[in-house]
Amino acid sequence: MTILIRQAHIIDPLSPFHKSTQDVFIDNGRISKIGTLANQEADQVIEANNLHLSPGWVDVFAHFCDPGFEFKETLETGIAAAAAGGFTEVLLLPNTNPVVTGKSQVEYMVQKAKHSMVSVHPLGAVTKQTEGKELAEMYDMKAAGAAAFTDGLHPVQSAGLLLKALQYVKAFDGTIIQIPDDKTIGTYGLMNEGIISTRLGLPGKPILAEEIQVARDIKLARYAESKLHFTGITSPKSIDYINRAKQSGAAISCSVTPAHLYFTDEDLQTYDTNLKLYPPVRTAVERNALREAVLNGGVDCITTHHEPHEYDSKICEFEYAKPGMIGLETCYGVMGAVFGDALSAERWVELASSNPRKLMQLSQPVIKEGEVANVTLFEPLATYVFTEDAIRSKSKNSAFVGKELKGKVIGIINNNQLKLN
Amino acid sequence: MQLSTRHLLGIKDLTAQDIQLILDTAAQFKEVLQRPIKKVPSLRDVTIVNLFYENSTRTRISFELAEKRLSADTINFTASGSSAAKGETLLDTVNNILSMKVDLVVMRHSASGAPHFLAKHIPAAIVNAGDGINEHPTQALLDAFSIREKLGTLQGKKIAILGDIMHSRVALSNIYLLKKMGAEVTVAGPPTLIPKYLQQAFGVNVSYNIEETLKWCDVANVLRIQLERQNQPLFSSLREYNLAYGINRKLLDSLNKEIVIMHPGPINRGVELDSDVADSKQSIILQQVENGVAVRMAALYLLAGKRSEN
Repeated sequence: MTILIRQAHIIDPLSPFHKSTQDVFIDNGRISKIGTLANQEADQVIEANNLHLSPGWVDVFAHFCDPGFEFKETLETGIAAAAAGGFTEVLLLPNTNPVVTGKSQVEYMVQKAKHSMVSVHPLGAVTKQTEGKELAEMYDMKAAGAAAFTDGLHPVQSAGLLLKALQYVKAFDGTIIQIPDDKTIGTYGLMNEGIISTRLGLPGKPILAEEIQVARDIKLARYAESKLHFTGITSPKSIDYINRAKQSGAAISCSVTPAHLYFTDEDLQTYDTNLKLYPPVRTAVERNALREAVLNGGVDCITTHHEPHEYDSKICEFEYAKPGMIGLETCYGVMGAVFGDALSAERWVELASSNPRKLMQLSQPVIKEGEVANVTLFEPLATYVFTEDAIRSKSKNSAFVGKELKGKVIGIINNNQLKLN
Repeated sequence: MQLSTRHLLGIKDLTAQDIQLILDTAAQFKEVLQRPIKKVPSLRDVTIVNLFYENSTRTRISFELAEKRLSADTINFTASGSSAAKGETLLDTVNNILSMKVDLVVMRHSASGAPHFLAKHIPAAIVNAGDGINEHPTQALLDAFSIREKLGTLQGKKIAILGDIMHSRVALSNIYLLKKMGAEVTVAGPPTLIPKYLQQAFGVNVSYNIEETLKWCDVANVLRIQLERQNQPLFSSLREYNLAYGINRKLLDSLNKEIVIMHPGPINRGVELDSDVADSKQSIILQQVENGVAVRMAALYLLAGKRSEN
């Protein structure tokens, strides 16, 4: 198959065509020509207003629920959602059933998604069954294709065990990912602890539970001299701790989700179960500080925390509703809605493509002749209202339905496949 | 006069005029309840379901009595444990009941926000009879009615709410109501049982000293220790709680003034309240219960009126 992308504004600091507008010709999954290709013919010609082209985007923390919870999402529907969101590669949570705790579960995902348009990288569990008691077979999982290690939605609690895990993965240069949360604080919390939770009569989860876990885990990672990534950061204090650790040379990094950049606890006043998230959304003070950190470099990447839940898991009492929201398809549009012009296309590509690749040791595609085409096509200025019938994910649990978003994904090219929205 | 809302989900959503209206209407119903024939035909064509997903004695009987005094048709539904534990979802249960043509739902539920969730999904009017640790609006209304009856007004009165504030929907509804009606509020109890942001959220005073708070107040509304809601230990023992925060005769006598003692019940005697306080002439605990029927009649009557308007 041949594809011609006309008049694409290329955003790729590693490319000789960075920040220039070019025609790009892709032949059989490989970029074969870049330049002014007025007379070039192709099987598929892509033209759009204000078309931008960058190396494919990566999500470090998405849940496809397969195997075990196929009624929420499957690899197929998850891949469709990722493609629609502009992601050519995703790292998948191990919180499936069975848990990704050994080679066979890693291989299931790798094999099943082998030739798909979105490349799938499983995240292996740190501890067996993510129970936080014994180390899982991370060495074997790494060999089978696990990109990094995390207990996902059940972050490791024991300091001693996390330290062992951080030391253990050094043998194969592994990375551990944690949602920082000390579960002994605000154990039964359903939302951010604060004025709003007090007024709503909902048990609160203090932001302190995150901050002390970040501080503690940094100490562990520094002691082990190992690599640690925090995802779903909600506190500017956490970012301060992480920045200080980075400055002193520690291999610490962090990501935030679009939902935590958009919503605040005040949005929970109607007990909207789609906004029951783990970690919870915080106040406007924290949200605004997180926005700042995204722009000034305090945040390394954006993760979607795509967490699908079937209808019945959300149409119930707030306390019983499952936490989490889908996020792949709205990610880019939410970033545009939040930041507008303040977020340059260049910074976005850093957050969505080059940084996560660096941190998760994925190879970096470059937009130049002879390279494999792993690209995302997008239009930063388009605005639209996100609707439920546009959702490709099997689940519809999004608090962004009905919201005006800015920035549209036009399509992706990866693994010699083109997927246009 | 009409209520500004079609549900009674919480005091949070009521205006001061709404509260005034309910209390004034309740006064009329209280007068009715003194008559030899205590029944009025006001809700003769109205069917009410009492959905109790959590145990209740006083509130359930009080609602049922209020409904019967108003000539409504009533049905009772009691589930032990949560709807989730039973297998049928709350929405399914309620929709099944509504398909039998029910006009009003009175619901108690262990999850905060459960009545708000229902209100979003069903057409019937909803009265919250207590949701989790959020609100118990009719309790706050009957407390207000009782204080007004005893002291003439709520405006400027000093009301202390004592004990387990964190797990108490009575506390939250009372705070909302008393602040809206111009009373001064101090909450006091062990720091582990007082939400961290209470002062900022409501502008109430917070104290950890029962004696000082009692010296300050006109009315002490003593809350029940909600042992059943404590997932983690929040104080050392009932004995120590009684020593530090319990209200006894000696303490009351040392105040040099006669404050009003209230309690929403059921009382843990010898824990938050000693018997010689609970049963003393300063206590209006049984009047609270009596007033509960009139207040609930008023709330149901006004909501039913709102219903026919729609």
